[in-house]
Amino acid sequence: MKNPAIIGKSIPRMDAPAKVTGRALYADDLKMPAMLHGKLLRSPLAHALIKRIDVSKAKALPGVKDVITGADIPQVKYGNWRLVPQSQDELALAVDKVRFVGDEVAAVCAIDADTAQHAIDLIEVEYEELPLILSVEEATAEGAGLVHDESKGNVSLVRKIDYGDLEGMFAKADYIREDTFKVHPVQHAYMEPCSCVAHSEEANRVTLWTSTQTPYIVQCLLASTLGLPENNVRVMKVQVGGGFGGKMELRPWEFCASFMAMRTGRPVKFTLTRADELAFGRRRHPMSIYSKVGFTKDGKLLAKDFQVMLDGGAYNAMGPTATFLCGTFGNMLYNYPAYRYFGRHVYTNKPPASAMRGFGAPQAAFVAETQMNMAAEDLGIDPIDIRIINAMQTGDVIPDVATISSCGFKECLEKVREISGWDEKRKNPKQGKGLGIGCFSFISGGVFNWFNTKYNFSAAEVSVYEDGTAQLATMACDIGQGPDTAMRQILAAELGIPIENIRLIAMDTATTPKADLGSWGSRVTLMNGNAVIDAAKKIKEMLIPVLFEEMDLNQIHDIAFEDGRVFVKANPKKGITFGECVYKALRGRRGEPLTARGFYTPRNKGLVSPAFSFGAQIAEVDVDTGTGLIKVEKMYTAHDCGMPINKMAVEGQLEGAIQMGLGYALMENLIMDDKGRTLNTTFLDYKMPTAEDMPPGESADVFTYEPEGPYGAKEAGEGLAIPTAPAITHAVHEATGYRCMETPITPEKVLRALDKIK
Amino acid sequence: MAMPQFQVHQPKTLESVLDLLGRHRSSVKLLCGGTDLLIKMRAGAQAPEHLVSLNRVAGLKTISYAGGDGLVIGGAARISQVGKNAEVRRLYPGLAHACSVMATVQIRNMGTVAGNLVNAAPSADTAAPLLAYGASVVAVERGGRRQIKLVDFFTGPGLTVLEPGEMVEAIRVPDVSPRSGSCYLRLSARSKVDIAAVSVAGFLNLDLEGRVIRCRLALGSVGPTPLRCPEAEQILEGQTPDEKLIAQAAAACVRASRPIDDLRATAAYRRAMVQVLAQRVLTQSLDMAKGGTP
Ligand SMILES: Cc1cc2nc3c(=O)[nH]c(=O)nc-3n(C[C@H](O)[C@H](O)[C@H](O)COP(=O)(O)OP(=O)(O)OC[C@H]3O[C@@H](n4cnc5c(N)ncnc54)[C@H](O)[C@@H]3O)c2cc1C
Repeated sequence: MKNPAIIGKSIPRMDAPAKVTGRALYADDLKMPAMLHGKLLRSPLAHALIKRIDVSKAKALPGVKDVITGADIPQVKYGNWRLVPQSQDELALAVDKVRFVGDEVAAVCAIDADTAQHAIDLIEVEYEELPLILSVEEATAEGAGLVHDESKGNVSLVRKIDYGDLEGMFAKADYIREDTFKVHPVQHAYMEPCSCVAHSEEANRVTLWTSTQTPYIVQCLLASTLGLPENNVRVMKVQVGGGFGGKMELRPWEFCASFMAMRTGRPVKFTLTRADELAFGRRRHPMSIYSKVGFTKDGKLLAKDFQVMLDGGAYNAMGPTATFLCGTFGNMLYNYPAYRYFGRHVYTNKPPASAMRGFGAPQAAFVAETQMNMAAEDLGIDPIDIRIINAMQTGDVIPDVATISSCGFKECLEKVREISGWDEKRKNPKQGKGLGIGCFSFISGGVFNWFNTKYNFSAAEVSVYEDGTAQLATMACDIGQGPDTAMRQILAAELGIPIENIRLIAMDTATTPKADLGSWGSRVTLMNGNAVIDAAKKIKEMLIPVLFEEMDLNQIHDIAFEDGRVFVKANPKKGITFGECVYKALRGRRGEPLTARGFYTPRNKGLVSPAFSFGAQIAEVDVDTGTGLIKVEKMYTAHDCGMPINKMAVEGQLEGAIQMGLGYALMENLIMDDKGRTLNTTFLDYKMPTAEDMPPGESADVFTYEPEGPYGAKEAGEGLAIPTAPAITHAVHEATGYRCMETPITPEKVLRALDKIK
Repeated sequence: MAMPQFQVHQPKTLESVLDLLGRHRSSVKLLCGGTDLLIKMRAGAQAPEHLVSLNRVAGLKTISYAGGDGLVIGGAARISQVGKNAEVRRLYPGLAHACSVMATVQIRNMGTVAGNLVNAAPSADTAAPLLAYGASVVAVERGGRRQIKLVDFFTGPGLTVLEPGEMVEAIRVPDVSPRSGSCYLRLSARSKVDIAAVSVAGFLNLDLEGRVIRCRLALGSVGPTPLRCPEAEQILEGQTPDEKLIAQAAAACVRASRPIDDLRATAAYRRAMVQVLAQRVLTQSLDMAKGGTP
């Protein structure tokens, strides 16, 4: 299928000039007259009863305008899984009990940030310490205490998948391996720490400008926790400096800002520090994993038994989705005739884990890919060949989950083999050097309606004007990943007008059509893209009659929208400009504006996602066997994201994902002590790789046309964050013999494995 | 923490700096790049009422090299200035390397060598190479000036022998003789923009027969202060070093180290790395010394 020229083009992001020149406005840039500054008091203890809170000194401090604790707020619990109300386990401020170091206990707003902080320091809290539960093993042990007294145990959610004849298949297997793995927590480390400003102009109505990936979710949950109709809460756009899954829930400061703005009648701002983010913020789930896989001697996969405990921390957050997706990605990429998954989401007294780029899949793939490499070695089969033997392809069915409507996985494997020089390099191994492979698949948005929305999953409103311009209004969020540009490319392609002629209104829950579930699960391009196309088609239906009438066309004719013109496809000379066409349509409609809404909700698309991306990546490393330091020398990637909408944006996703995956494999780790405190709360000690650590990369395109995607596109955001860690792990093994089963790989672990440190 | 209130003074002469230090003795801090001090003040770890900036004092940023007199680094010379200085790069490559890879571009453009030494972090990147080059600190106060050998300068993490009212006017580094070689190596989890988890600096001077006349070895991040390794130095002095002797000297460096477990590395890893880095530092220094004038 041939796409319009603007689809697949490398268009610099339209928000880039504003961001690099500092003109872009983020939540913390907003300043309003009489605005107050909020601060939070957080628990210093990981598990304790609150015996007494005394806020009198804080209230008495001049300049303090409001002080609130758990006793002041409506006792309405929230959580993203509205479909399962008992999973909603959070209150903005703790009542009776704190469950992690950083649990919010009180909030203050004052005339400036220093006064607010001073007031926080004056609040007295008396705690009674409770025994700590800091691991999934402790949490699930016999007689363990409870993180949430009202729950039956510390397992807050169980997900099981079971198909095929597991025992029978294992009995047939020539080769079986059983391994346990542990994966560690890392953080999104988005560039912009969370920030929001709330203002209540009319009593009982509140507007919140916030750094979020999910304005609609924030609107709904803010309404329910404040006891307001949803329509009385407006969540509005600001630039968002990254999210990666860390900004997709209602957060305590959003609630406190809104609640105190309503109480004081003044705007209230909260802005977190980096130390707040690292010490208390959401993170990727650490997991304890058992996995047993069976193969025939020819490398054909027969069965897999996959058992996972997710360390969810003190609240569910997006943990349930991670539990589901971990199971779903435990059997992706390859055909497993029998598969059993037992996933448990476990409460502990740690900062809650939640969504993070890949959402349960990076952990599942780390295990699956590592075992694949181990099996390949033991069976004497090339790691790429063993993957090709088992690779999914278009039309494959994952029982109860999905039918794969497009899949270029095998092509990806062939391509990375070629561009990396895999065969030659493996024939001539060099001391301390190695190549390793990791693969991935990911969803293009979720099908499962855990938020229980009444609305379509994505929506867009298109208006067109007689000056040849258009306006696109959508709740979809650009959090740095680029849909503000991609969506305009899609609309420009549909209407045949220049992209500069399209004005965008986004992320305003009051003026953009309902709804959009947000930027997560790599959903926006496919879902919102489809909604934009739907709206554009309706607009075109309003414009086409003008041409028929104007030109007195036979009804067998088809009309094209290209190059700013509307014309007869078979005879391009017969046509008028787009603006003229709108003008005539307006006249014909006696002044009624041309506006249309489009929607998208995946239907009959199984349980998980309408479309899956695929890809393979090879890491080339050089290990200094004296110091154990690992240098990733080059990354090779072949990626099937369907038909890319904006190539440059896809490349940006790839580079960012490699940086994240490299950090996950080698450097980043939230280190905690035995009191549940996070010790590395600065970027000095939370080691994000810098530009200097970034290896050069080479990539190969594998184009498939996804029938469910806009112009054949599917996801390109999260999936790429999956393969890097297993690829590096494999490469380090090839270089040194050290196989990491407990992430991250550190120089010290390498040297211990080489017996150079006793 | 809210940042405390304080007053900033920006004197133009050394005399007025010393006056201000004397006058506000009870609560005053010198401010150079501020890359250590301001962070500590923000964190509430320090709350001086007066800051005396050295940034406008004439002549304090000068770096000069004069043959036999060696190198003089002014008390307000920036790290990046030192790292780019042609003489430093030619004669003191270990120091030049430290000044080019530590911290970040921005921090190196603001931070100073004097600030790095007075801040007295065990991991201070300029400390180990300056120890290896046998540097001294010139301290002044109203009414006096003294020269302190860098080996005697550090007394603990964040602590030095400087008296209140005293400031570092300059750092003096002896000249390097022909047939000298030196090197500084540091390890950190991140390739750049990271504090060293272990570092080793070395200096060797050979006689015409290739025997070591003088050796100095220094370690960073493996004790409460940057350390010298006298035992290792003695093993090499008077000898013609070979691989075995270098390994023995490196082992003596390990014995001199007193590492702890912390976030950045375990003590066991640090000890092992002192051995590895010391061998590499000595090997490279030896190669350079054999190549003639550094
Ligand atoms: C992001 C970041 C990364 C860093 N990375 C590194 C690194 O990799 N390696 C490393 O070693 N350090 C690092 N540092 C620490 C710091 O930058 C250095 O120690 C720097 O050299 C300090 O110099 P300054 O001029 O900024 O000191 P200041 O902060 O101005 O002063 C530090 C202390 O020295 C005193 N002082 C300053 N000048 C004098 C003087 N002439 N006489 C007497 N006392 C004086 C001050 O009163 C203060 O107590 C880093 C800091 C940051 C913020």
